[in-house]
Amino acid sequence: MTRPEPGQAPPRIAARRIGKSFATPVLRDVDLEIPAGCIHGLVGENGAGKSTLAKIIVGLERADTGSLALDGRPYRPITAAESRNAGVALCAQELSLVDDLSIAENILLYTSTSAFKRIRRRSAHEKAARALVAIGLDAGPEVRVSRLSLAEKQLVEIARALATNPRLLVLDEPTSALTAPQSDRLHAILRAEARRGVTVIYISHRLRDVLTICDRVSVLRDGQVRLTESAGALREETLIREMAGADADFDAGRRSIEGTRPVHLRVGKLRSAALPHPISFDCRRGEILGLAGLAGSGRTELLNAILCLDRRTGGSVTIRTASGATEIRNPRHAIRCGIGYVAEDRARDGIFRDRDLAFNVTIAGLGRVADRTGRVVRARETAAVSKLTADLGVTSTGIDQSIRELSGGNQQRLMLARWLHCKSRLLLLDEPTRGVDVAAKLAIHEELVRLRDSGVAVVAVSLRPDPGVVEPEARRRVSPRHVAPGGHPGGGVQ
Amino acid sequence: MVRFFAENLIVLSLVAIVAFFGFASERFFSITTLSTLLNQLPALTVVSIGMTLVLISGAIDLSVGSVLALSAGVIGAGVVLFGLPVPIAALMGIVAGALAGLANGSLGAYLRLPIFIVTLGMLEVARGLAYLVTDSQTVYMGAKIQAFALPIDGLGMSASFMTALLLVIAFEFLLKSTVFGRQIVAVGSNESAAAVSGIDPRHVRCTVLIISGALAGLGGLMSSAYLGSADPNAGIGLELSAIAAAVIGGTSLMGGRGSVMGAFVGVLIVSVLQIGLAQIGITEPTKRVTTGAVIILAVILDRWRKT
Repeated sequence: MTRPEPGQAPPRIAARRIGKSFATPVLRDVDLEIPAGCIHGLVGENGAGKSTLAKIIVGLERADTGSLALDGRPYRPITAAESRNAGVALCAQELSLVDDLSIAENILLYTSTSAFKRIRRRSAHEKAARALVAIGLDAGPEVRVSRLSLAEKQLVEIARALATNPRLLVLDEPTSALTAPQSDRLHAILRAEARRGVTVIYISHRLRDVLTICDRVSVLRDGQVRLTESAGALREETLIREMAGADADFDAGRRSIEGTRPVHLRVGKLRSAALPHPISFDCRRGEILGLAGLAGSGRTELLNAILCLDRRTGGSVTIRTASGATEIRNPRHAIRCGIGYVAEDRARDGIFRDRDLAFNVTIAGLGRVADRTGRVVRARETAAVSKLTADLGVTSTGIDQSIRELSGGNQQRLMLARWLHCKSRLLLLDEPTRGVDVAAKLAIHEELVRLRDSGVAVVAVSLRPDPGVVEPEARRRVSPRHVAPGGHPGGGVQ
Repeated sequence: MVRFFAENLIVLSLVAIVAFFGFASERFFSITTLSTLLNQLPALTVVSIGMTLVLISGAIDLSVGSVLALSAGVIGAGVVLFGLPVPIAALMGIVAGALAGLANGSLGAYLRLPIFIVTLGMLEVARGLAYLVTDSQTVYMGAKIQAFALPIDGLGMSASFMTALLLVIAFEFLLKSTVFGRQIVAVGSNESAAAVSGIDPRHVRCTVLIISGALAGLGGLMSSAYLGSADPNAGIGLELSAIAAAVIGGTSLMGGRGSVMGAFVGVLIVSVLQIGLAQIGITEPTKRVTTGAVIILAVILDRWRKT
C-alpha cells in the first residue's frame, strides 16, 4: 500500500506553522507535508480543526499565520476559484450543490472558468455524463439535484470535484451518507486517481475507512498535529487514544455501585430515523454513566431521541418522578420531569449569544424566579444566578455581562448552571468538557461528582469517558455495535 | 459622553428633529401640530407594538395594514348595518384582527410555511374581506364612534391616545419583565437553543402573531374613531411604517433584540417627520425620500451603536 517516499520532488502540499483563531485558537502551528500520489488521512474529534484546515487549503478561510506551498511554489489562495485554478478541489462536509439546477449545470458552474462564456449544453451534458459514469452514479445529467438522495448528492459533489482534474483533492467526510458498496466504489476511484499522481486529503470519522484507504494518517487534537504515521503501522485504538488525549487527571473518589439504588432513567429499545438499531440502557440515581462513541456514531442522536427533540420511531424512555414512572413526551415535558441537557454544539443549541448571563442561566427555569403572575422577579433572579456563578467559579464582570464576551470554559459552566438552577435530577451531557480550558474542566468534573453524590443521575457522552469521573463499573458502553468507537454512523444511510 | 449619546441615540434624535422643525417653521410649536400628531399616533403606535413583538420573535407580519382595514370594516358594518352598540362592534373588530393573527400563526408557525409569504397572502385576503364587508364603500358612523378619538374634558387627551400609551407601557413590561417576554426574546435569539430550553418556538410565534393581529384590530377601531367612518382603504402601507418605527427604535429584523418603548419613540420620529416636513413646505415626493433616508440612517446608527 505504501507508495515511495518523496524523493527529490517537492511535496504536493506543504503547510508550515499554520495558525488560525476565531474566538479561540482553532489551529496552532500545523505542519503537514503530503507528497504527490498520496492519500493522506486526517482524523480528530469534532472541533479539532480538521475542517478549518481543509478550508484554508482551498481558500475558503485564510490562515492567520504560517504558509502553504503547492508543488514547492508558494500558494496563498484567497478564493475557492483561485485554488480551483491551481488544481485544488474540495468536497466539503456541508454539500454545496445548487438544488434547483441540474447535475450538469452544477458541474458546469463549478468547472467553468468564466462567468460569461456561452453554455454549450451538449458538451456540458457529455462532460457530466462522463463524470457520473466514473463515480458510478446512475442518473442522467439533466436530473435536478433536488430530486437526488443525500448519498447521490454526495457522489455528485465528488464527481464535480474530479471533473476539474485536480492535483490535490480534499474530501471532508465524503462517505458520511454513502452505503458500503458506494464507499468501496469511491475508494477504488480514489486509489486510481492516486496512481495517476493525484494527492488526496481524506477527512473522516470512520477510522476503519481511513486505515483502509489512506497511505498515511495524521491525528489533529486541539488544533495541533499530534501524530503522523503510515497507515499500515496504525490501529484504530491508537488513533482513538491520540484523538482523545490524556485528560486532566482528576480523582473522583471511586465508589462502588450498590444495586439497591433505584433506576432513574430507563431507555428501552429506543429508535429514531437517525438511530436505526434499538438502544436500551438504565441509569441509576447517584451514578455517572459514560456513553462512549465517536462523532457520527449516534451518540448525539441518542440524546436527542431521549428528549424527543428528534422524532422517535420506537421504544420508550421512562423517568422516575415524584408521581411514579413517567414516559417522556416532548422536550418541555422532559424538563418538567427534571431532565437537563447540555448540547454538544454550544453555539447552536446552547447559548443566547447577545444576552446576558442571567438570561442564559434562568431561561429554562424561569418559573423559579417568577411570581405567580408570570413576572420575573429581578431580585430573585439576581440572587439565584449570582450564587450559581460563584459556586461554579464563573469569571465575569457581573451577571449582566453579555455571554458572548466570556470564554468557552465560562460559557460551558453557565450551561451547567442552567440545569443546576432547574434542580434537574437527571443530566444528559454531550461532550461536557470539550473545547474548554483545564480549570473549567476541573470545575465541571467537581460539580458532576458533587451532583452524583447528592443522588443526581448523569449520562455523559464523550469519545472516551473521562477516567476520573466515570465510575469503573459504570464505564460500560451502550450497545457497543452502534455507540462505540468505529460504530455505524447514525443517519443518512439509504 | 460617547456612551451617553450611544445609549440615548433615538431619544436625542427625536429631540433634534423637533428642535429643527421648531426653528424651520414658526407654526410647528402649535396646537394644530399637536392635535394632528395626537390624532395620527394611536393607530400606528398599537400596530408598531405588535410588529415589534413579532420582529423580536424572529418573524414578520406584513398583514397589519389590511387587518386594520378589515377590523374597521367589521366595526362599520356592525354599527351601521346591524345596528350593534359601538363597544360590541369594536370588540368584534378586535376579534377579527386576532383571528387573522391566528391564521397567520397557525400557517406560519405550526405548519412552518414561510411567514413572510403567509402574511403577504393575508395582506391581500384581509384587504379583500374589508372591501366585502363594507361593500367597497366608506361606512359613515359619525359621532357615535368619534367620542373615542376626541379629547376627554380635563385631561386633554383622547381615550384612543391614552389606550395607546397604556399599551406601550404594558407591553414594554410584558417584554422586559415577564416569563413570556423572555420566551419571545429567546425564540428570536436562538430558536434551537430555546427548544432545548423547553420553549416551544411555534407556540411563542403563534401567540405573538395573534397579539399583533388583535392590536391591528384595535388600530382599526382607532383609525375609524378618528375618521368617524370605516374606510376599507385605511392602513395601506402601514406595515412599512410600523416596521420602520420598530427598526428606528432599535429592533432587529433578525430577531432577538428590540424594545416597545424604542418602537414608540420610532413612531414619534416617523410622525413628527411627516408633519414637520409638510409644514415647511416639502412636497410629497421629497417627503418620501427623506423618510426613507431616515430609516436607513437609523439602521446605520444602530450598527455603530452596537460595535
